[in-house]
Amino acid sequence: METPNNERGNERETNQDDPGYERAIHQEWHHALDHTADLKAAGDPTDPTVVTAPADTTAAAQASPTDLPIAPTEPAVAPAAGTATAVVAGHPKHVADPSDLVLAIRGLRVSFSGNEILHGVDIDAPRGGVVALVGPSGCGKTTLLRSVNRLTELAPTASITGEVQLDGSNIYDRGTDLNLLRRRIGMVFQQPNPFPMTIFDNVAFAMREQAKSRPSRSSLMPAVEDVLQRAGLWGEVKDNLDRNALSLSGGQQQRLCIARTLAAHPEVILMDEPCSALDPRSTARIEELIVQLAGSLTIVIVTHNLAQAKRIGDYAAYLLNGDLIEQGLAEQVFEDPREQSTRDFVSGMFG
Amino acid sequence: MPTRLSDRGGVAAAYAAGGVLVIAITVIMAWLVWQGLSTISWDFLTTGPAPGSLEQGVAGGILPALVGTMIVIAFGMLVAIPLGLGVAIFLTEYRQPNWLAKGTDTAIDLIFGVPSVVFALFGLAIFSQGWLSWLSNPVGDAGMATAQSFFCASLMMALIGLPPVVRSSQAAILGVPNQQREASYALGKGRLTTIRRIVVPGARPGIATGIVLGIGRIAGDTAIVWILLGGAVLQAPPDGWYLPWNLVDFLRSEGSTLTTYIFFSSPAGEGNSPGQAYGAAFVLMVVILFVNIALIRLSRRKIGKR
Repeated sequence: METPNNERGNERETNQDDPGYERAIHQEWHHALDHTADLKAAGDPTDPTVVTAPADTTAAAQASPTDLPIAPTEPAVAPAAGTATAVVAGHPKHVADPSDLVLAIRGLRVSFSGNEILHGVDIDAPRGGVVALVGPSGCGKTTLLRSVNRLTELAPTASITGEVQLDGSNIYDRGTDLNLLRRRIGMVFQQPNPFPMTIFDNVAFAMREQAKSRPSRSSLMPAVEDVLQRAGLWGEVKDNLDRNALSLSGGQQQRLCIARTLAAHPEVILMDEPCSALDPRSTARIEELIVQLAGSLTIVIVTHNLAQAKRIGDYAAYLLNGDLIEQGLAEQVFEDPREQSTRDFVSGMFG
Repeated sequence: MPTRLSDRGGVAAAYAAGGVLVIAITVIMAWLVWQGLSTISWDFLTTGPAPGSLEQGVAGGILPALVGTMIVIAFGMLVAIPLGLGVAIFLTEYRQPNWLAKGTDTAIDLIFGVPSVVFALFGLAIFSQGWLSWLSNPVGDAGMATAQSFFCASLMMALIGLPPVVRSSQAAILGVPNQQREASYALGKGRLTTIRRIVVPGARPGIATGIVLGIGRIAGDTAIVWILLGGAVLQAPPDGWYLPWNLVDFLRSEGSTLTTYIFFSSPAGEGNSPGQAYGAAFVLMVVILFVNIALIRLSRRKIGKR
């Protein structure tokens, strides 16, 4: 009966240590929601609650032996809310400084053929965190995600206004190097989509620049091994690098896609329901991977799976019909939402 | 077995349609093999037609016609493949400006639909211009050109070989899942890299099918050969035509292909040697079959090891 004790311990610690932190974060996100607030105000380093609170949370996390409770054998949809709480409590440790926003979406409006999908959305992604975008189908989550690496505009009917600031500069500025941008902001899709090539070539594709100066296989091998290691796939494929990537299982394919994305050295990875096509076991592995990758890079994940968002999200944003309803610490959004609409959604009343 | 009468009728009709086709093809092939095989010999394949001979038995071989078919296929497709692939990529991946895309679409349909003899006639008008005499041969000092050469014929052949390459490649490119394009873009690859490394490799089997169909069209065409290559069927080619340094002269000269040879030597043409015609038809069939199988095989690349 170790786990329940820990949970209680975590809850207690959370309740004792977190309110100040949570309030600070509340204020921050409120500022962000007001279009008037600018980044600097939100990221005021002199605010003591912001600076000190995360350290406390980290301590709480370290005390918890259920740091990575999602063992590969466990079913993905953890039935007990308590488990999720434990994980969430362990999470803000990925974020060194919540006011250090790697991504700041400001007033993003997207419409297709005049039909507006997003009505001016603001999202903050603190560096190193896992930001879960949740909301019912058709609320614009995927469109939002695809607007962050500028895939939305591949549709000729799309029209986009607003700003997406990556490290403070708007990616929609004229003169943005699209290819560089998409290397800095990688993407993992809903359906695993490896190229019909060998496993090695899938990963190497992201690394190879020009056909003229194609690096040799042996010179790419260390980097290929490295990203496959980080994606937790190396052990399974190291003897089969020349096999067709499509011969892998769905879960392995998705991890290959993550490895492929890592090969471009992104600062941010966008994930569009990366587990929705996978079985529970593969889902658990991907979630584990996301938790491992967070910290060294920032992950923005769209998910339909509220339990998943609770398990892995440091922060959460709830969208409804193209509007941002609420965002903040995942724990707060899921456990103590400010908006009635969020409350209805997270309690499973609709969506 | 379906129980309703109308269903059974439909099934029976479908069986019948398939059966008739299979029977028809089998009969044609068997007839060709039976008639053609008796004519085919090493000499038949490696000698030219005997000069002036119109009679069975002394008519000689089909070597120049066979080579001629290969040449128009090779040169025609040399132009048609890159052009067709380019058009297909334009029509699928770019489509800008729209009027150009629509115009191109219509043009491809027109080329597909218009009989080749029309293009041959047009080619005659163009290639007989004096300033194009380097494609064939000048006619005396009239400032005109003969307009009959492998070059002239191959250029027109490229035109009729183009539509199948375009349409088949287009379908294949559209069949490459959008997810793969997006995956490539999301990895920071540009449009050109995506097309070259993802789209075209993914469309390879369809492109190969288009090439096979294009080759079939070129190999089967008679009108262009007749008008733009000349009816030089029973003429033996000039001595040493196969030597490399005679190549350009040879390609500027008149020639023949298997199709015109078949027409010429059949009783419907000027000759009266059906055996020759069957033999040549058999060879043509084997050539096309071989090219088809080879191309389709080549296009199915195996990815990695099992």
